[in-house]
Amino acid sequence: MNRRLRNALKGLTAPDIERRRRAMEPFVRATFDVFIRYLYRYLGNEVECEDVLEDVYADIWENADRLRNVTTEKQLLTTVYLYYMRKRLRQVYNRMNRNLHLSQRDLENIIAPELGVIETASQSELQQIVRRMLNRLKARERRAIELWMEGFSNRAIANELKTTVGAVKMLEFRTMLKLKKMLRDYCYED
Amino acid sequence: MLDTNREIQELAADYAGALRDGCIPAFLKSLTREEAKRIASSRQFQDAAEVTRLLNGVGFADKALIPNVDLFISRVNAEISSRLKKARASSRGRRKAVARHAAGTEKRAEKSV
Repeated sequence: MNRRLRNALKGLTAPDIERRRRAMEPFVRATFDVFIRYLYRYLGNEVECEDVLEDVYADIWENADRLRNVTTEKQLLTTVYLYYMRKRLRQVYNRMNRNLHLSQRDLENIIAPELGVIETASQSELQQIVRRMLNRLKARERRAIELWMEGFSNRAIANELKTTVGAVKMLEFRTMLKLKKMLRDYCYED
Repeated sequence: MLDTNREIQELAADYAGALRDGCIPAFLKSLTREEAKRIASSRQFQDAAEVTRLLNGVGFADKALIPNVDLFISRVNAEISSRLKKARASSRGRRKAVARHAAGTEKRAEKSV
């Protein structure tokens, strides 16, 4: 963890309100890029990411006790996800839940799940994991996922692979399950 | 997402598309009771959703437009100020209520004497 972030964290956990407020700016500058990318995994929408992050920072300012013993950036990310982000993420769609058929618990699990590999890995680690996993897929599976990651719609992927939309959805689903299995193996290896 | 009786693989693919395009609410609203039940009872959907989040984080988080940090800091400051104001107002209100209560008790005590 760099010195700037360490000092900001020290300021945030101080009892004095004004000191905490002064420490917020360097803290936001040091963590904003990481946090907003992290939130993007769950929301896929910049505007919502900003709104959630604004509340997360204000929550941290109000009560930063959980960050008192944080010593590494990875620890910081995990702690912020567990104690600040997850609560806010789960609130995002709660207001529309009375119109949905999903139960509150299922909705929360879809929006912000318990701590898994994705929640604890940094962006560069995730990139490495994905690259490694994609290399182990069959050519057609890999192509489908790469096209999806380039932003192609299922119809466009179907055209590209000369198949139907239903077959593409099935291919994507099976490939995702395969990737999940690889991810599990990767965790055991680690 | 007009199909009202989607199988789990179609639901997973639609969820992936919705997350990538930032329109999860549209996906959630499109779910019928049966589909919601299917999602709730499917471990495979949870697994596919986890991988979708992973791919979304790697494929799109870097491409997403990162807003101006200075502007964002001023938003955070405004939020903090508003919370501070609320906290002060509520503590002032609490203090006034305590004072009023104390005055009332004194008056009552005087009357009884």
